[in-house]
Amino acid sequence: MEILGYNFDEFLAWVGEDIDTLMMLIWILPVIIFVFYGQRIQLIISSNEIKKDIGKLDEYTTSTKKDFLNYVKNNLTYKSDPSKKLDSFFDYFTIMPVDIDPNGIISKINHLVRSREDIIRLQINGMFSDLSSVELSKLQNLLEIVTTLQLFYKYTRHFYLTAKKQKNFPLILPLQMMIPFIMEEAVALKDAMPAIKTGQPIGDGIGPMIVGQMMLGTTKESAAFETVWSKTTFENRDLFLLKAEGPNATVGRPGDGLEKIISIKKPNLIIMIDASLKLEGEDSASIAKGFGAAIGGIGTERFKIEEIATKNKIPILALVVKQSIHEAITLMTKEIADSAKTVKDELYEMIRENTSSGQSVLVIGVGNTIGVSQ
Amino acid sequence: MSKSKNKIPTCYTSLECDSCKILKKRKFIDGDVVFSTPEGCSECDGKMLITKIFGVIMD
Repeated sequence: MEILGYNFDEFLAWVGEDIDTLMMLIWILPVIIFVFYGQRIQLIISSNEIKKDIGKLDEYTTSTKKDFLNYVKNNLTYKSDPSKKLDSFFDYFTIMPVDIDPNGIISKINHLVRSREDIIRLQINGMFSDLSSVELSKLQNLLEIVTTLQLFYKYTRHFYLTAKKQKNFPLILPLQMMIPFIMEEAVALKDAMPAIKTGQPIGDGIGPMIVGQMMLGTTKESAAFETVWSKTTFENRDLFLLKAEGPNATVGRPGDGLEKIISIKKPNLIIMIDASLKLEGEDSASIAKGFGAAIGGIGTERFKIEEIATKNKIPILALVVKQSIHEAITLMTKEIADSAKTVKDELYEMIRENTSSGQSVLVIGVGNTIGVSQ
Repeated sequence: MSKSKNKIPTCYTSLECDSCKILKKRKFIDGDVVFSTPEGCSECDGKMLITKIFGVIMD
């Protein structure tokens, strides 16, 4: 057989004599390709997966933004078209204080975060007429969701495009590792929108819900900004109860609240009830007890609580309800709501075990109290 | 992501009469807030207190 003047019969005869040479050629070719182009092939495969997720992040950002603007336009009375102003809020950023010398950084972060909240609150309030405190807090939460999703989208896209531009495979590896966690949080944020808009309780609100129930029938007083406290008794012990002021979509300022209560009476024990992120394999709505300040966030409130407790030598115990990130920021599930009774029983048991008659206990319900009054 | 996470849950409100302790469950209505008393009891003169608001994903 002759093709283009080349005798294939001769070639096949030669192969027949030395099949190992052909096999070697077949194997060596992919090896050469992978040696020189392996990283690039991996980059193409990985980046295709990441590209799909970036597309989803873009879709979530656009849809939540649209949802937010529709909510504002359909439910609130605005002085002038709020779209442009709200659009500028989505791009707000925060520059964290210098941490080369960490001494005193907590008060700096606290100041920065609070001024950001105060300024945004003031600006939103100025845009609408007759805005209730509940609506205002809901708007702040909704804005936070959209801003966070936009940030996720922008940063993920930045790393992806940089890796592609520089054909730098190692640069895409951290992104590949982080993207499932980013997507989990992004889906949770997107799904949190309906509950926040309608003012329904979220999983994180289990702590305030338990303390709010204990506050029923007591006189509530302001302890700090968006934070209330009241006093009750349990088996000859004074119970001070502290939570964010519901049904606003807020976590309040438990650190400042604790400061106020300490100035009235020093409790013998502090118990904090909060939602906690469950580990993989753990059951949702399972309860765990422990030591230390159970409070999330940026760390400033926890720092304040720990500092006051240390200064006054007050032990802190924690009671947490385990849940996923999705459960914590979306509509409270039945399992989590049902766990309230068990948590309350555990709390009373904790008080009995760790204090004696005549002593006092401060119970703090930590979390976003949206849809939960007191 | 699990499949259930993509389903929209139905929101329910649980109420308990502060007098006769009768329990009632209905679909969430705008304005429902835990520990508020939005309506009277149908069985007695008591007030229905919202004890829980929660979501259930239907299969």
